[in-house]
Amino acid sequence: MADQIPFTETEERQALRKSVAAFASKYGEDYWLEQARAGKKTDELWADAGKQGFLGVAVPEEYGGGGGGIGDLAAVCEELSAAGCPLLLMVVSPAICGTIIASYGTDEQKQRWLPGFADGTRKMAFAITEPDAGSNSHNITTTATRTDDGWTLNGGKVYISGVDEVSDVLVVGRVESAKTGKLRPALFVVPTDAEGFSYNQIEMGIVGPEKQFVVHIDNVKLPADALVGSEDAGIDQLFAGLNPERIMAASSATGMARRALEKATSYAKEREVWGVPIGQHQAVAHPLAQSYVEINMARLMTQRAAALYEAGEYLLAGESANMAKYAAAEAACTTVDRAVQVHGGNGLADEYGLVHMVGASRLTRIAPVSREMALNFVAQFSLGLPKSY
Amino acid sequence: MNIVVCVKYVPDAQADRTFSQDNTTDRTNVDGLLSELDEYAVEEALKLAEAGEGEVTVVTVGPDGAAEAIKKALQMGADKGVHVLDDAIHGSDAPATSLVLAEAVKKAAGGSPELVLMGLASTDGTMSVVPAMLAERLGLPQITQLSSLEIADGKVTGRRDSDAASDTLEAPLPAVVSVTDQINEPRYPSFKGIMAAKKKPVETWSLADLGVDAGQVGLESAWTKVESFTARPPREQGEIVTDEGDGGTKLAEFLAKAKLI
Repeated sequence: MADQIPFTETEERQALRKSVAAFASKYGEDYWLEQARAGKKTDELWADAGKQGFLGVAVPEEYGGGGGGIGDLAAVCEELSAAGCPLLLMVVSPAICGTIIASYGTDEQKQRWLPGFADGTRKMAFAITEPDAGSNSHNITTTATRTDDGWTLNGGKVYISGVDEVSDVLVVGRVESAKTGKLRPALFVVPTDAEGFSYNQIEMGIVGPEKQFVVHIDNVKLPADALVGSEDAGIDQLFAGLNPERIMAASSATGMARRALEKATSYAKEREVWGVPIGQHQAVAHPLAQSYVEINMARLMTQRAAALYEAGEYLLAGESANMAKYAAAEAACTTVDRAVQVHGGNGLADEYGLVHMVGASRLTRIAPVSREMALNFVAQFSLGLPKSY
Repeated sequence: MNIVVCVKYVPDAQADRTFSQDNTTDRTNVDGLLSELDEYAVEEALKLAEAGEGEVTVVTVGPDGAAEAIKKALQMGADKGVHVLDDAIHGSDAPATSLVLAEAVKKAAGGSPELVLMGLASTDGTMSVVPAMLAERLGLPQITQLSSLEIADGKVTGRRDSDAASDTLEAPLPAVVSVTDQINEPRYPSFKGIMAAKKKPVETWSLADLGVDAGQVGLESAWTKVESFTARPPREQGEIVTDEGDGGTKLAEFLAKAKLI
């Protein structure tokens, strides 16, 4: 299968991109920045995108979704980002939580959650990162213990996006295996209004409608069916969710990079100094040309990761998703930096819509997996180098 | 209700549009798309069909690329498409286009359609006359340029807005109706719509299929001929008034010179 994946997107996916781009232009950067700067959410955009079915493109048709794949969802994500109005929780809610529940949830869990993911009326956050474990699922300390009628969950999470705007959080915890007695990862759906569940906002210097939180989980009582699927499938579930996350993060980053490059290019064509547009100088033109190359390489790798994932080639998809995430973040950081430089002082003026991308692009190098962890993956699995941690 | 929507494939108005060697619209060097003004007619048809029973058929007359315009309408939700494709149609004027459309609409509707919807005008030719010509050819009442539309009791009723007043117009069905960009907000193709469009039927008909004589259409039969064209001159830079304490006076002088005050 894997060797038959073509190098261009289907006509339908291109049509989806066009439709999303036209839809997103109704909102755009002005709307997004206005909401973010006023401390508001982009709820109208989310609801509207949900109504159009754009948020649910990858949810199975039998649950009201579009029946597409992660590549379709990633295309939606990238086009929103390229239009200047990214939806961060797309990476989390439909991509991670939606994929995990669709792949591993019980029939009843699918019935309960997926229709809401399909039309965007359900938003779910995802909590894996811990203060002392980072994203290393083996060191997670949030632990679930069995009770007569369910589970008791204890622990804490950090840098969890959007907890204030969701009904539930998919929490990665650990549970003692009934067979071996060892602690293994397991995923629980925790309502944000559960007793013992609390969260505090982390003040960030990044402009964006979605906020970050520290989450405290103290003796939270959960029903038995809060556990997603079976307790033995925790690790598989995690990987089922984390590869889509990387593909989505890469798409959001290339969307941002495309936007920054477009701004830089049109500025370089219009801004004249000493009688010629500055874009006529190679010192300006070449960095922008480099960005174009880098962005397109990152997009190609992202599309490849999505195609491999859709084809069920999970190991190859994992490698590609890490490479895509790495390349997309590098392209985003470098392109935004170059775009600011091309604009000179204007690059840091609010009016030109670039300065807020400086922090946002920098974030893509760190989250959802850091550049260093992506490189560790390649070093260890692709090159066979000794494990460093 | 079975609704036929006539749509046009036009060069993207955002691009630099130009003419071919025979002074017809250049369709090869500029990307084409479904005329944006026709999206309102498609949307209105879909709303009517969704509100009751019915089917929406999209008809276009145009070159190979015009299949894209049909596809967009099918992605929006129309049920089937008809593409009249014939090299002899190249260069046709509005009367010839309406002749071909009339035969295509009749054939698509299996006789007389219940409602024919069209946009305000094409975004390339912008003549706005084809709806009236089509109504004449079909022998149906026409109501053009509606910014609201209702179907009830075998009648179509709607409002036509002008600068000074609004008219309420009414016609018995079947009728030919054109709508403006004020009537609705066209939907964006949803993912399901895009996927479903792949399986929707599109028929391609030639002039012979419609029983139209090739001699009645095309560049040679057009009632008007484009002899030559010139590009619109670039906009000249306006006069810049520097305010040195007398800005108001200079502004007044400028306006007086233009006889505006």
